[in-house]
Amino acid sequence: MALDEVSLSLNSGEIFGLLGPNGAGKTTLIRIINRIVEQDSGIVRFKGDLMQQKHLASVGYLPEERGLYKSMTVEAHARFLGALRGMTRRDIDTALNYWLDKFDIQSWRKKRIEELSKGMAQKVQFLCAVLHEPELLILDEPFSGFDPVNVELVKKELIEMKMKGKTILISTHNMRSVEEICDRVALIHQSKKVLEGKVSELQEQTKTGEYAVKFRGNMVVFVNALWTGFELIDKEILGDDKFIARLKMRGGSTFEDLLKVLMGQVKIEAAWEVLPSMQDVFISTVQPETKEHES
Amino acid sequence: MKASWIIAKRELLERIGSRSFLFMAVFGPILVLLLVYTLFAVGGNDQQKWKVLVSDQYNVLDNKIMANEDPNITYYFYNDVIEIEEFAKDERFQKFDAMVEINGKVLSNKSGFVFYREKPSMQMQINIRYQVERRLEELVAAEFTNLTVGQFRQIKQPLTLNFKNVYDPHETSADLSAWVGLFFGAVIFVFIFLFGMTILRSVAREKSNRIVEVILASVSSRSLMFGKIVGIGVSAFIQFAIWIGLIGLGLYFMRSQLFVDAYDPANAAEQMQTVSNEFVSLVYERIQFSAMLPYFFLFFVVGYLFYGAFFAALGAVSGSESDGQQFLIPLIAMLCFALYAGYSVAINPDSASSDFYAYLPFTAPIVMMVKLAQGFGPDEGAQLYLSLFVTLLFAIGMLLVAGRLYKNGLLQFGHSVRLRTIFSWIKMK
Repeated sequence: MALDEVSLSLNSGEIFGLLGPNGAGKTTLIRIINRIVEQDSGIVRFKGDLMQQKHLASVGYLPEERGLYKSMTVEAHARFLGALRGMTRRDIDTALNYWLDKFDIQSWRKKRIEELSKGMAQKVQFLCAVLHEPELLILDEPFSGFDPVNVELVKKELIEMKMKGKTILISTHNMRSVEEICDRVALIHQSKKVLEGKVSELQEQTKTGEYAVKFRGNMVVFVNALWTGFELIDKEILGDDKFIARLKMRGGSTFEDLLKVLMGQVKIEAAWEVLPSMQDVFISTVQPETKEHES
Repeated sequence: MKASWIIAKRELLERIGSRSFLFMAVFGPILVLLLVYTLFAVGGNDQQKWKVLVSDQYNVLDNKIMANEDPNITYYFYNDVIEIEEFAKDERFQKFDAMVEINGKVLSNKSGFVFYREKPSMQMQINIRYQVERRLEELVAAEFTNLTVGQFRQIKQPLTLNFKNVYDPHETSADLSAWVGLFFGAVIFVFIFLFGMTILRSVAREKSNRIVEVILASVSSRSLMFGKIVGIGVSAFIQFAIWIGLIGLGLYFMRSQLFVDAYDPANAAEQMQTVSNEFVSLVYERIQFSAMLPYFFLFFVVGYLFYGAFFAALGAVSGSESDGQQFLIPLIAMLCFALYAGYSVAINPDSASSDFYAYLPFTAPIVMMVKLAQGFGPDEGAQLYLSLFVTLLFAIGMLLVAGRLYKNGLLQFGHSVRLRTIFSWIKMK
């Protein structure tokens, strides 16, 4: 079974991250939303109505395995896909000019796709997916193939679209991007939804009570100062007498207690509660079950 | 429907803009014209010298035919009955190329038969008919009227001379026209194969470069398939129209400059040298292009839809661009069988299998071209429409099956195709 009882609700003006290991069923879910494949049971609603073919004109889709007609020019390609999504010739002209200017690629307009590099083609694919200003934009691994500059550019565009009230569904393995731009995420594992919520909430739920202190001074003095109220877990040497130490509270100690015992012993530059990264959330959710299966 | 049209337009523009399309549009007709020219040129000038035996039991013609002797035809007279079998096999008659049978009532019923060993050219037929008719007119004018031969000719009833093969008087074997039909059928075969392969490659390419998923997010798989088949079909039709235009122009040029019409008074006045042979008369006088072309078009359309659906389905179920090859073999075998069926009908038009092939959807487009060239009897016309209807029905059925395969197979990549999988995809909703 590709998907089992997966239910999601996306709000307008939000970026929703769809996470999960390979083969979890993310692409199947996306294809069901897009009406590319038919589900055995269940329904998809779009703005309250049952999702129908006519709604697809309001959906933009950038699949993971991207393709373009190599013999077509950038302009012809955009015109073709725009027309398929119900755009008029004039709308296509306006939108195409807007995006070509925005990405500073007006000079590519008459270029055939086969003349473009992989990264350039990626930009054209993104452009074609958003050309018709979709209400719902579905992006499967949108950042793969882009250099860091273009990743930032695409992120900026996505945030701008979100501000305009568009709904964006991103399926990705790039957890840093998820943390940066996603408002909410859902994790699918072995065909089931195992986690859903705001990024900050999920981090909060899975935090382990770790704190970090960045300081200048002697490591032995630092450890002695901790005494029995705190447990040193890890340390990172940043340079001469400069460290980041990770520790846990013991016996009801608080963050304030920690700061008090360290004051005067070392020079504290920063101290913070360590929240798990989305990568940690992902692994901690997926791996225990893997271990169970292995055993 | 609008989506199908947009897809069809893209396919059409892509085909028309491709070099192979232009190459085929220019060199295809040139190749056909060269072939036709070669047949015209080496087809043998009509310098046949025939010995014609006139079987005139009642000596109606008085053992004479024309005052001015025709250098190419020598008439011999035999005032007794000659059975066809006798003429065909008897040693005495082997030196004669044809026998004109004059019955006792020929002056009143104005009809007779000519039995030939080798089919005479159109010019030879016209000459024999003209000369026998002239002789009969002389006799009728002299015997029954006070008119001159010239006056009588203006009010006369034309003579009907039926030319029949002495070895095959019921004309069950192939006529040259049937081969023309087969040629038309072969053109359908070539176009269906070439453009069918274009469909297959186009679908397989869309699968392999993954653009198909982007398109399917906007249109249904059926619309995509239909648009593709229509777009490529229209490009095939345009290609075909270019062929017709160029070949027509070429034939017109050849007729006006190289193989002029001997019976056109304008040419006779200018004393233009005329060349005529069996192929020339076949192309310019016997093939009824105006009757054949509309049916050619109709059978081309239904045949293309039927086979196009197969090619599209094959492209959709293929795991990769080269994967469809193994399933291409049965498809090519089907097309080759259709060509063989056309040949078989050309050879044996009245065989029981010829009717069967006419209603078999994958042989009908080619077989019906042959049958059309052979000609339909007054009560056989319905066969043509029934065959067209049956093929259209099967084409629609095939499009539905292909649509299902298209839907279920289009997003399957990198697998090896098995018959079992194909059947399961057909059954799948």
